[in-house]
Amino acid sequence: MNELATVLLNMSSTEIGLWVTGVMLLLVFMGVRVAFAAAIAGFVGLLWIFTAKLGFEKGFLVAVKMAGTIPHSKVSTLALSLIPTFILIGYLAYHAGLTKSLFEAAKRWVGWLPGGMGVATVFSTAGFAAVSGASVATSAVFARIAIPEMLKLGYDKRFAAGVVAAGGTLASLIPPSAILVIYAIIVEQDVGSLLMAGFIPGAVSALIYGALVVLLAKTRKNFGPPVTGYTWKERFESLPGALPIFMVIAIIFVCIYGGVGTPTEAGALGAFLILCIALYKGTRWKTLKSSLMETAKLSVMIFAIIWGVLLYVRFLGFADLPTAFSDWIVSLEQSPMLTLIFILAAYAVLGMFMDAIGMLLLTLPVVYPALLALNGGEAVTAADSAFGVSGAGFAIWFGIIIVKMAELCLITPPIGLNCFVVAGVRPECSVQDVFRGSIPFFIADFITIAVLVSLPGIVLWLPGLMGYT
Amino acid sequence: MSTSATVLTDNTKLSLLDRLFFKFESLLNLLGGITIFLLVLLATINVLGRWLFSMPVDGYVDWIEQAMAFIAFLGIAYTKRLGGHIRMDILVSLLKGRMLWFVEFISTMMMLMITLVLIYGSYLHFWRAFSIGDSSLDINLPTWPAKLVVPFALSVLALRLLLQLWAYARALKQGGNSAVGVPLVESPADIAAKEAASVMGNDNEVPK
Repeated sequence: MNELATVLLNMSSTEIGLWVTGVMLLLVFMGVRVAFAAAIAGFVGLLWIFTAKLGFEKGFLVAVKMAGTIPHSKVSTLALSLIPTFILIGYLAYHAGLTKSLFEAAKRWVGWLPGGMGVATVFSTAGFAAVSGASVATSAVFARIAIPEMLKLGYDKRFAAGVVAAGGTLASLIPPSAILVIYAIIVEQDVGSLLMAGFIPGAVSALIYGALVVLLAKTRKNFGPPVTGYTWKERFESLPGALPIFMVIAIIFVCIYGGVGTPTEAGALGAFLILCIALYKGTRWKTLKSSLMETAKLSVMIFAIIWGVLLYVRFLGFADLPTAFSDWIVSLEQSPMLTLIFILAAYAVLGMFMDAIGMLLLTLPVVYPALLALNGGEAVTAADSAFGVSGAGFAIWFGIIIVKMAELCLITPPIGLNCFVVAGVRPECSVQDVFRGSIPFFIADFITIAVLVSLPGIVLWLPGLMGYT
Repeated sequence: MSTSATVLTDNTKLSLLDRLFFKFESLLNLLGGITIFLLVLLATINVLGRWLFSMPVDGYVDWIEQAMAFIAFLGIAYTKRLGGHIRMDILVSLLKGRMLWFVEFISTMMMLMITLVLIYGSYLHFWRAFSIGDSSLDINLPTWPAKLVVPFALSVLALRLLLQLWAYARALKQGGNSAVGVPLVESPADIAAKEAASVMGNDNEVPK
C-alpha cells in the first residue's frame, strides 16, 4: 500500500494529467453526468498534485479551496450572460407561433422552384434557426408543419423527411448560436467575432441545401413538384408574420457588427422584442412561466458543464498536459493538414455517440492549444502559419469548422437526434427513411466542411471587416 | 424543447418525498428563470437608455455579474431531478435490472461526493467574501449573496442526490426493470417521441 502511495506521489505532473483524464473518460462512459465527471476529475487531479507537494492535509485544503472558488467565479462573467438570453428568444419565438408564419411566407416566395416546398423548408428552418439556435427543436417543429404539406403534394417521403432533419442543423452556425458562444468562452476568444463568423458559412450552407433540393427535384421524376399560383399580393401579405424573425437577425447584426452594443445587449433586445410579440399574440403567464422554466433548466445545464470543465481545466494547467500534447502534435512528422483531418475525423466519430456541447467542452481544452501550436502559435501571421490563417483567425476558423462538424453528427446514425425526432413526429416515416433521406445533405455538408477547411477566407471575411484576425 | 426524462411515481414514502421536494426545486428553478427575465429587462433598459437618452444603467455590469450565479445554480437540483444534465448513456442504456441500478448508484454516489466537496469549498469562498466585506468594482454591491447561492443550491442538490441514492438502492434490492423517483434511461426514439409530443397542440399558429 505504502509503495503504491510512493509511486503515485512521485509521478510527473504530465503522468498525473494522463491518469486523471483517463479516469474522467471512464466516468463519462459509465454515464456520470458530463459536468460532474469533469468536476470530479478536476478535483481529484488538484488533490493529487497538491498532496504530492504539501502532504495530504494541507493538499486537501488547498484543493478544496481552489475547487470551491471556481463554480462561482467562472460563471459570474458578463460574456456568459448572453447564453440565457439566446435560449429565451428561442422558447418565446416558438410559443409566439412565428414558425408557421415563416414557413407560409417562404412557401409563397420560393414555392415555384422545382422542389419548391423543400426549398421553402430549408429557408424557413434557416430563419427559425436564427431565433432558436437549437437544432433538434427546429427539426421537431418543421417535421410537424412542413412534412404533411410536402406529402400532400406527392413529394418523396424520404426526401421530405431528410430536408427537415438536415435543415435543423443550420441552427448551429446562424447567429444567435449558443454553441458558438460556449466555444468562444472555452478558447478565450471574442464572442461577437465568432457569432459574425458563423453567419456566412451558415447562409452558404442554407443556399447549398436549397440548390441541392432543386437539383434533386429536377433530376428525378415526381420527386418534388413546384407550387405555383401565388400572386404578388399574397406574397407581400405573408411578410408581416415573419417580420419579427428578420428583426431579431437585424438587431443582432447591427449590435455586434455595428459595435453599438454588447452581444448580451443584442440578445436581450431580441428577447424583449419577441416577448412583446408573444404578449401581443396572446401569450399569458402560464406559457411565459413554462418558457422561463425551460430556459432556466437549459441554462443551468450549460453552466454546469462550463464550470465543471473549467475545474478540470484548472487542474490541466498544473498538470501541463495541454503543453505535452501540443509538443507531441507539433513533433509529428506528417503534414499539419493531415493531422487536422485526423482530428476532425475523430470528432465525427465521437459526435455519433455524444452530445455536441459536452463533446466540445471536454476535448477542446487539450485539443485546441495543440492545434493552435500546430498552426504556429497565437502570434503567428497568416503567411508563416501552417494552415494559412493568423493566430486570432485560427481560433475563429477552427471554431466554425468544429461546430459544423459536431452538428453534422445530428443526422448520422446511430443517435442522430434530428432524424429520430422527425421519425417521432411523423409515424409514417421510419428512422431508416429519415437517415436515408438525409444522405444527400450529409454529402453536401461534408463538401462544405472540406471547402471551409481549404478556404479559410470564407469564414474570416466578415470578422475581418470588423477588425478581427 | 429540451425534454425531461420520465420519473415514475407511486404511493411510497420515497415517491411522496420525491414529489414534495420537486415542488421546492421547481420554485427555485422558477426564481432562476425570473432572474433571467430581469436580466433581459435590465440589459434592454441599459441599451435603450444609452441610445435614446445617453443614460445607461448605473452599475449595469455589476448587477449582471451578481445575477449570473443565481441563474447558473438555483435550478441545479431541478435539472438533476429531470435528468437534464447531459451524459453519455449509450453504454448505460444497454444495461438492465440490478446491473443498471448498481451502476447508477455508483455514479450518483460519486456525484454526491464531489457535490459535498464543492459545498465546503464554495462555503469557504462565501465566508471569505462575507468576513472581509468584499464588494463589486463599480457600485460596491456586496458579493456575498451571490457567493452564498452556490453552497445553498449545491446543498439542495446534495439532498436530491441522497433521495436518488435511496431510490436506486431500493430498485437494487427489489430488482426489476423500473425504479420510482429517478429519471429513467431513454433511447433516442423515446426522447424524440417526447420532443414530438411537446410540439403537438400548437396548431393555432395561423399566419395572418
